[in-house]
Amino acid sequence: MAPLLEPALLRRLEALALQVRRAVSGQMGGERRSRRRGQSVEFADYRNYTPGDDFRLIDWNAYARLDRFMLRLFVAEEELPLSLFVDLSGSMDWGKPNKADTARQLAGAIAYVALAALDRVRLTVFAEGETSGGAPSRGRRAAATLFSRLQSFPAGGVTNYEKLVWPIGRQRPGMTVLITDGLGESPLDPALRALQRAHQEGAVLQLLAPQELTLDWSGDARLKDAETGVEREFTATPLTQGSYLKLLAQRTDDIERAAHRRGLRFARLSTSEPIDEMVQITLRRIGLLQ
Amino acid sequence: MTVLAPLAAVLAITLPVIIGLYFLKIRRPTRVVPALHLWPSQIRDRQANVPWQRLRPSWLLFLQLLAAAALVAAALQPVLPAGASLARHSIVLLDASASMQATDVTPSRLAEAKRQVNAVIDQLGPSDRMTVIAVGPTSRIIASVTGDRDALHRAVNGITPSNGPADLSSALALAAGLVRSGDDARAYLFSDGIVQPLRSSFAAGLPFPVEYHRVGVSGENVGLTSLTVRTSAQARAAYLHLQNFGQQVRSVSLEWRADGHLLDVRPLTLPPGQGQDLVLPVPSDAISVTARLGAGDIFAVDDTATAVARTPRAFKVLLVTPGNVFLEQALRLRSDFQLDVVAPAAYHASSAYAMTVLDRFAPSLLPDGPVLIVDPPVGSALAGGPAVGIGRVRAVDAGDPLLANVDLQDVHVARSEDLRASTFGRPLIGSLQTPLVLVRDEPFRQVLVGFDLHESDLPLRIAFPILMQNLSEWMLPPSVPSHSFSPDEPVTIVPEPGATSVSVVRPDGSRRTLATGAIATFAETDPTGLYTVEQVIAGQVQRSWFSVNLFSDSISQLKPPDRLTLPPTRAVAIQATHRGQLEIWPWIALAALAVVTAEWLAFHRGL
Repeated sequence: MAPLLEPALLRRLEALALQVRRAVSGQMGGERRSRRRGQSVEFADYRNYTPGDDFRLIDWNAYARLDRFMLRLFVAEEELPLSLFVDLSGSMDWGKPNKADTARQLAGAIAYVALAALDRVRLTVFAEGETSGGAPSRGRRAAATLFSRLQSFPAGGVTNYEKLVWPIGRQRPGMTVLITDGLGESPLDPALRALQRAHQEGAVLQLLAPQELTLDWSGDARLKDAETGVEREFTATPLTQGSYLKLLAQRTDDIERAAHRRGLRFARLSTSEPIDEMVQITLRRIGLLQ
Repeated sequence: MTVLAPLAAVLAITLPVIIGLYFLKIRRPTRVVPALHLWPSQIRDRQANVPWQRLRPSWLLFLQLLAAAALVAAALQPVLPAGASLARHSIVLLDASASMQATDVTPSRLAEAKRQVNAVIDQLGPSDRMTVIAVGPTSRIIASVTGDRDALHRAVNGITPSNGPADLSSALALAAGLVRSGDDARAYLFSDGIVQPLRSSFAAGLPFPVEYHRVGVSGENVGLTSLTVRTSAQARAAYLHLQNFGQQVRSVSLEWRADGHLLDVRPLTLPPGQGQDLVLPVPSDAISVTARLGAGDIFAVDDTATAVARTPRAFKVLLVTPGNVFLEQALRLRSDFQLDVVAPAAYHASSAYAMTVLDRFAPSLLPDGPVLIVDPPVGSALAGGPAVGIGRVRAVDAGDPLLANVDLQDVHVARSEDLRASTFGRPLIGSLQTPLVLVRDEPFRQVLVGFDLHESDLPLRIAFPILMQNLSEWMLPPSVPSHSFSPDEPVTIVPEPGATSVSVVRPDGSRRTLATGAIATFAETDPTGLYTVEQVIAGQVQRSWFSVNLFSDSISQLKPPDRLTLPPTRAVAIQATHRGQLEIWPWIALAALAVVTAEWLAFHRGL
């Protein structure tokens, strides 16, 4: 099996980091500023000594001036819990380059950036419902396992965003990145609303194939839905092609507006873009990476 | 409505074929799409190769059916009944005479008549035939028994108006010559009814009925009907008559010009139906004078009149007679004759005389030229046999132009030389006993009268000066007649002796060359105005003039008659007519083209 990401790309990804707007509260120490006080070099505050406190934190200089015990508090540094929700429904298994393959690479790249920064990554793939990506991964060594798992999930099934509401809601506050084509019949907004409620800072990355954005065929055809298998006769003319493109643009705009409304970043990506450019240009532009 | 090509109905099979094609189902390639719900449910069947499917409503199907139906309808060549009732052979007599230039109908009577004729042409059925005859001073067939509408339209539109009268008789004679007995023919006269009186030969009727379609409404016209220049002892003057033919008082201005130079402008007021005579000065050196009415009325042809002011060149004529006052007076009636009278004893041949009249005298050698010999003496070369008593005098050919207006009813001759054996020429006037007057053309125009005028009462009759006028004008026509001619009237021009070139310059500046050495008849006199005859004699150009004017009260009165007396129909069978047909297939074909265009647009817009 070919590697999910090229080693050269991985090296470039190590120079990036997820950009969070607010402090995080992870379970383990890490490199992210936490809302808690803990061990770090960054001074946070003073408070009065109370019995039981670690007297190693007493500021003796303050005691000399004030004649009472004061404790120096430091900002704790914790890990960032990153959740990756990757759409591997039937509609993603389409296009050249394939949207599902591109989604796996994109998720892998974002996960690798997080793992390299000692963040905790939870991978979830979904179609009709969630499919756990296994236990959360942490540390750069876990990348290979995570990549392997990503590649092992087959694409297929019907997209149902409403079934994402529960797994999103039980997450601890952190960052969530949702990679999907956004073309499922069910609305995406409930899932985005759940992200907001779960205090998730994150992004919606809509991934489309170039063949969807620019139709390269015309004439009569029997259209078959990639997810449901439903078929319908259709004649592609400038008029009908215009109608399709208008509906697609409307759908995309709806997702973008909903994401911004929920405080999420949004980017529309084409599978024709190299992964390198997606990560280093587009994701940095929307402020997901730095 | 009827159809001309019913067999074209088989093309209607295309309609069910089109529908059938829509019943057939298209074999469509399957395309997997990520989200079917984003694709509009629009289907258009463009090709079919797998039967069958349910017929779906489609704009393209509707437009294709409509276009096919329109094309089938056009192929059927439907026709609508038109207004005119037509025979199988329609003879259109289109008046192109002077009065049809009147503009009381816009743009002119002739144009209106052409429009009506073109409308009739459009109504011709496929088996109908039409002949078009332009009626003018000389009627002519411009399209003969044809069903080719384009040719008929071209022929009618190519007719130009003449300045002459409408000779309906000759047009009817032409038409009658085209119709065979039993033909289903009908004539349609598009005219203002201002035509020359019909000849009596039509009293027996025509082999077809004639419908009169009146063109024109008004007779409001002021015209010049006469202009002559007379020379008196003191001066020359022009006598002009103008007439108001309308029913309203008309104020006009009269321009009077000599050789194009304005001499006078006179305002005139003419009561309805009244005329006015004017005497106008003519400069002594003027060649021609022109009167022009600034009437601005509906008829321009009679608003201008031209007269030649220069007196014609005189001929020297020699009368050799022992004494004949009748003959002398008759010859002096010709104003352009300069008559010398000599006794036979004083006669000697001279080339100075253009014509010689020998009364009871015959020289040994006749002069080379026109000669009138009266009662040649016995023993002369031209003398006939012994005198015979003459009974009734009669014309050998009553239609001979030399006897025009010559009434021989009460003419008596006591006795005459017996000219039965004479080889002089053809007899003009004769009797039961002997020819009395012989004429010949060769070697010169000459006349031989076999009796002494004193032994006849002919000189006492009005016929004598007329006969002498006819004979003298035949033998010696004016070199160039200076009086006014009617449009299209032939003008006889006698080239001067020694003329190397004779040509006529018409009022429009065009030049016509005539043959020299022979008397010529110039007939291209349709335009009104001044004509110049140029003869080159010994390198010198000698000019003379004649004028052409309408001068016709019957034409200038312009009022179209409501009814026209036309010859009766001689046809033995009832003339069958049918309604004219108006073909509408071009419009249907145009509509089909529009539908096909709409279908093309609908196809490309993906409807």
